[in-house]
Amino acid sequence: MSEYINEEKNRVARHGALELAEHWALALSGLALLLSGLFELPMAARFKITSLPGFGWSGDFIVSLSIHYIASVVFIAAAAFHLVYHGLLQERGLLPQEGDLKASVEVVKTFFGKGEEPPFAKYLPEQRLAYVGMAFIIAVVIITGLVKTYKNVYAPDLSHGLVLWATWLHNIFFVLFILAFAGHIGAIVLKPNRPMVRGIFTGSVRLDYAARRHPLWLAQLDASAPALAVEAVEALESGETAAVMTEEGSANGADDAPGETPGDTARPAATKDER
Amino acid sequence: MKKRVNVNRRGFLKSLAAATAIGTAGALNVPRTAEAGEGKLATLIDLTRCNGCVDKESPACVSACKKIKAGSLPEPVDPIPVPFPTRKVEDWSKKKEVAHRLTPYNLIYVQQAQVDADGGPKTLFIPRRCMHCDNPACATLCPFAANHKFENGAVVIDPETCFGGAKCQTLCPWQIPQRQSGIGVYLKVMPTMMGNGIMVKCDLCTDLLKEGKTPACIEACPQKAMSIGPRSEIYARAEALAAKIGGYIYGKTENGGTSTLYVSAVPFDKLDAVVHRGPGEPGLGAVKRRMAGTDGMGKAVLAAPVIGIAAGVAGAFAALSKRKDRLKKEKR
Repeated sequence: MSEYINEEKNRVARHGALELAEHWALALSGLALLLSGLFELPMAARFKITSLPGFGWSGDFIVSLSIHYIASVVFIAAAAFHLVYHGLLQERGLLPQEGDLKASVEVVKTFFGKGEEPPFAKYLPEQRLAYVGMAFIIAVVIITGLVKTYKNVYAPDLSHGLVLWATWLHNIFFVLFILAFAGHIGAIVLKPNRPMVRGIFTGSVRLDYAARRHPLWLAQLDASAPALAVEAVEALESGETAAVMTEEGSANGADDAPGETPGDTARPAATKDER
Repeated sequence: MKKRVNVNRRGFLKSLAAATAIGTAGALNVPRTAEAGEGKLATLIDLTRCNGCVDKESPACVSACKKIKAGSLPEPVDPIPVPFPTRKVEDWSKKKEVAHRLTPYNLIYVQQAQVDADGGPKTLFIPRRCMHCDNPACATLCPFAANHKFENGAVVIDPETCFGGAKCQTLCPWQIPQRQSGIGVYLKVMPTMMGNGIMVKCDLCTDLLKEGKTPACIEACPQKAMSIGPRSEIYARAEALAAKIGGYIYGKTENGGTSTLYVSAVPFDKLDAVVHRGPGEPGLGAVKRRMAGTDGMGKAVLAAPVIGIAAGVAGAFAALSKRKDRLKKEKR
């Protein structure tokens, strides 16, 4: 069980070890792919990156290809695992729900002081939309990368049309991947989201934060949670939460781990003995 | 459990097939400067026959190549944008007549080698151009797929999509492709920050091949030192010729194999030791295909989806059975 509440420590476990491993496997291999992919462009020597300490290798296309390949094995295996594992377990909390687009607009408005955030489940509506966007980008980059790799290893004379499509889609979605990655990091940097950041490193977030911002999640986690949730919703209605949120942060979340154990999937609550 | 794996694998393959179908359909609308001809071709260059056309102003192969390629490159813009931060502009447009080395306007030249053979000094003449390698990193690693290996064996750079970054030149063990700055698509993007012209090299007269004709250099050779034909036949002829003269073959294993076979009575390491080498003047030494070292990793990449899917299925079933056990315990 990866989700449970620890009131003594004021913590609620948000991601299990497996989900953390998935996230970091994708993140670190993605970063290696990003860098080595950039170096596959003839830019390292031109822009003197090769003269930076520790970057002498960046101008060697075969070395950066090797790094790209090694990182790809981790990246592709982790993505395929994620899809199959959570798909089979029917964990769909990160998939967009009806009304997410409208809700996201409302949440973004709150960044500019317009209105108040509604109570959230485990993930924010814009997190669910961003997840699907990132998944699509990753899927295209992987499929086109596999075509390119097949060409490199087995069929250098593969149809030029197919190679052109695979190469250009790979390039375009590589740029989109960089933008999505920058957006993801940007969300973490935002002060209001910082209480969520510890979740993707340690697996847990502060209980008081979760109670204020994710009462619907807590409500489905533990028998004691509904009380917390009711309190949070009541506080929200009375304006107290808004004041607290301004203090703690209320923007969109940034800890969208690839793994997901959603609040809206019926699951038995954990007891402290299971922790 | 196995069934689940198959379903997911099938789904993945369906996606890949769909992407392939889209790519193939789209290819119909992609303008190309070269098309693959029929069957795998190879060329044979018999150094026992080549005399460098010493009686002519210029070797016939070089003249024929210059003639057929004349005007194929547009005139560069004036002034040519200066690339940041290297400030390296390569402009051969005012030196089109240069014929003693490879340039964007001279795609074949004849190298000379003074050797001691048969008891006396002898000059060997060696026509040099792109080797049209079997698995050329210059093409497979082109970041824009502007350089491509076609089914007929020709490795062709599309001037419409090449940015002139010279990655192909860096990757080529003979540094064959040559750059002309001031022309190409890079001028329409960020000419000082990205790209620097177009790369140019022999395309095996792929347009002529498409029409069933012979490449200009081969057609022009008065000594019949060069020939082109089905790959298996050319390979067999090269082997037979080498055996007959007790000679040597270059290009069969170099860089993982090529579509160009040189046959010489003098060992190629001896020729390599004496030919003049420099920019646009390739050597004749032993060359390994460096990219071969990455093939194993590439195969692992292709296996990665299967590894991930198998792990996902195994993990999900383990989690499900664990969940079942817990529910049973709770019931009790």
